[in-house]
Amino acid sequence: MTLEIIVMVKQVPDKQEVVIDPVTMNLNRSLTRNVTNSADENALEAALRIKDKTGANVTVISMGPPQAETTMIECLARGADRAILASDRFFGGADTYPTGLTIAATISKTGKFDIIFAGEESSDSSTGHVGPGVAEFLDIDQITYASSVEYEDGHVIAERELEGGTEVVKVPLPVLVTVLLNSNTPRMQTLRRKIDATRKGIEMWDHDRIGLQPEWVGVRGSPTIVRKMNPIRERERAAKKIEVSSIGDLVDELYEKKILKLEDE
Amino acid sequence: MSEFDAIVVGAGPAGASAAIRLASSKKNVLLVEKSDPPGSKNVSGGVLWGNGLSAIIPDWEKSAPVERFVDTKSVAFLTQDSKIGIDFSSKKLEQKKTGYTVLRARLDQWLARKAKEAGAMVINGVTVEKLHVEDGRVTGIEQDGDVITSDAVILCEGANPRVAINSGLRKPLSDHDVAIGVKEVIKLPENTINERFHLKSGAGFACEYVLGYLKGGLEAGGFLYTNKDSISVGIVVSMSHLRKNNATYSYNMIEEFTAHPYIAPLLQGGEMQEYSAHLVQEGGLRSIPKLFGNGYMIAGDSAGFSFSNGLVLQGMNYAIDSGIAAADTFAAAYDRKNYTENSFKSYQDRLEASYVMRDMRTFKGIGDVTWSPFVHKKVPAMLETLMMGLFMEEGRPKKHMTRMLLDALSQNDMLRVSSLMDTYRMMRRM
Repeated sequence: MTLEIIVMVKQVPDKQEVVIDPVTMNLNRSLTRNVTNSADENALEAALRIKDKTGANVTVISMGPPQAETTMIECLARGADRAILASDRFFGGADTYPTGLTIAATISKTGKFDIIFAGEESSDSSTGHVGPGVAEFLDIDQITYASSVEYEDGHVIAERELEGGTEVVKVPLPVLVTVLLNSNTPRMQTLRRKIDATRKGIEMWDHDRIGLQPEWVGVRGSPTIVRKMNPIRERERAAKKIEVSSIGDLVDELYEKKILKLEDE
Repeated sequence: MSEFDAIVVGAGPAGASAAIRLASSKKNVLLVEKSDPPGSKNVSGGVLWGNGLSAIIPDWEKSAPVERFVDTKSVAFLTQDSKIGIDFSSKKLEQKKTGYTVLRARLDQWLARKAKEAGAMVINGVTVEKLHVEDGRVTGIEQDGDVITSDAVILCEGANPRVAINSGLRKPLSDHDVAIGVKEVIKLPENTINERFHLKSGAGFACEYVLGYLKGGLEAGGFLYTNKDSISVGIVVSMSHLRKNNATYSYNMIEEFTAHPYIAPLLQGGEMQEYSAHLVQEGGLRSIPKLFGNGYMIAGDSAGFSFSNGLVLQGMNYAIDSGIAAADTFAAAYDRKNYTENSFKSYQDRLEASYVMRDMRTFKGIGDVTWSPFVHKKVPAMLETLMMGLFMEEGRPKKHMTRMLLDALSQNDMLRVSSLMDTYRMMRRM
């Protein structure tokens, strides 16, 4: 039986280019380039390494607007076999709860699944909820924050990074694994694979296709309400020129200005 | 059987134009671009002169992400203390819309989208390594050990044509072929720009500057273009000059330029949004490589189709028209099913008949003028002396204007045969 691997991915705004609109306090996504969430690339790579050894089928699944297609194509170009984008205007404005539900339902619709991979968290919201949420919706075991993942005879053996050490766990299938950022080096997309991926294309599934009621998903299915966003305002730094004749004078001067303090003060 | 009819390398104005033209005539075309998204590695920003795009996108003026139409075009000499320039503002420019300021990050992305809509396969984020050659004929491209085959390849790589060089179709760039452009994009509110440059909404200002006064005596050109709500400002300095002056850095030069007493106020209060540098093709006619061969053609900056005649910096227009010419040549070859050098010969003919090669010939050797100490040092100094003479009231009777001009010339060491020759040469080449 071919191993069926699912990888959950998300398209996020490029961190380096994120701009907060000073008026609306929302992320201004129109100016930013969209990229694949980095930890998800590590999740995909972990899946592809198992595929290399076992000939598994790798399906990437995402929820997002149609422009997330570029991320899905990228995943195909790295070596995934199939890409499904859950995309529907009803999915808009979802918090992590209906997002997990939507992805879990999409995974169920694909039929059999053995291992589900997800990145540890997304770079734009950093909750780390959706992976574990999907495991709960599907009622399967989960391994979080894995730094290395091996498949062996119906089990996943993963190393988990913990404070002060590592833990090695062995879990029978089916299992969901969230993968640490930078835990491996994602393979390159080649022109050959990109052409093939573009030709193959992706599948777009709406709520109907997945079998979800509109009121379960998106903003209507979200228990979280964002009341206010407070951006961090940069504090002005005071730069002053202090003229002194020796290091000792400088220390005295700084002490007087209360920039330096004695340890017992 | 090839996988594609044609592969176009590079999705700038040349490559995207070629791909749009090819895809519109139902050719199976692959457009490969190293940056992702297209335009994100581009620095030019830029005036797009001419109406070349109308051949492939008839309504481009309405739909393209252009910034402002050029309604005031200026050229100016800068000295340490002065600016001596000519402004041309005209209702005619408003009616004719001969040029638009553009930000290439936006324009290129839009062009790539148009290519995709026309039916081309557009792949970003992959760098093509070299051409694939079989029996002396280009039959595709190579990337990461794979060969993607096509009946022909159109190279539109821009100012740094790695594939053409790696494949032996172009000599490695020499210092004389290229200049380095350094650009800042300064964000300012649309209204501030309108007020500062006396512009109506939608109208733009574009100026090229002669910067002979910069420290180290380097001959550099400056530019300043108004976008919708930002200003593109920067310098272009010839690589050979920069090499001769190892103590001078291009980033110091742009700072000196933007701090000039008559440039700084234009940028005041703005916030720097981008800072970038790129090669600029400056070699003119002598750097143009062989433009076609068995299974390939070269267009745009890759072919050296860009230069400044001192009054205006051009390249995008040549890129678009050469890209279209290459596509049309391919289409004719496609009908004959013949992709040999002989079949692509009409590419050269098309370019020779168009303004592309004619301009290159008309302005051959212009680089010797635009990068000369004569234009950069003597002319500005002389003009400054003359202007001061004209506008200085010293309570003494004024000299005749001709006398003043002669004095200004002689004070600046320009009343020599060599200077007259320089002037003659300059006029001829311009």
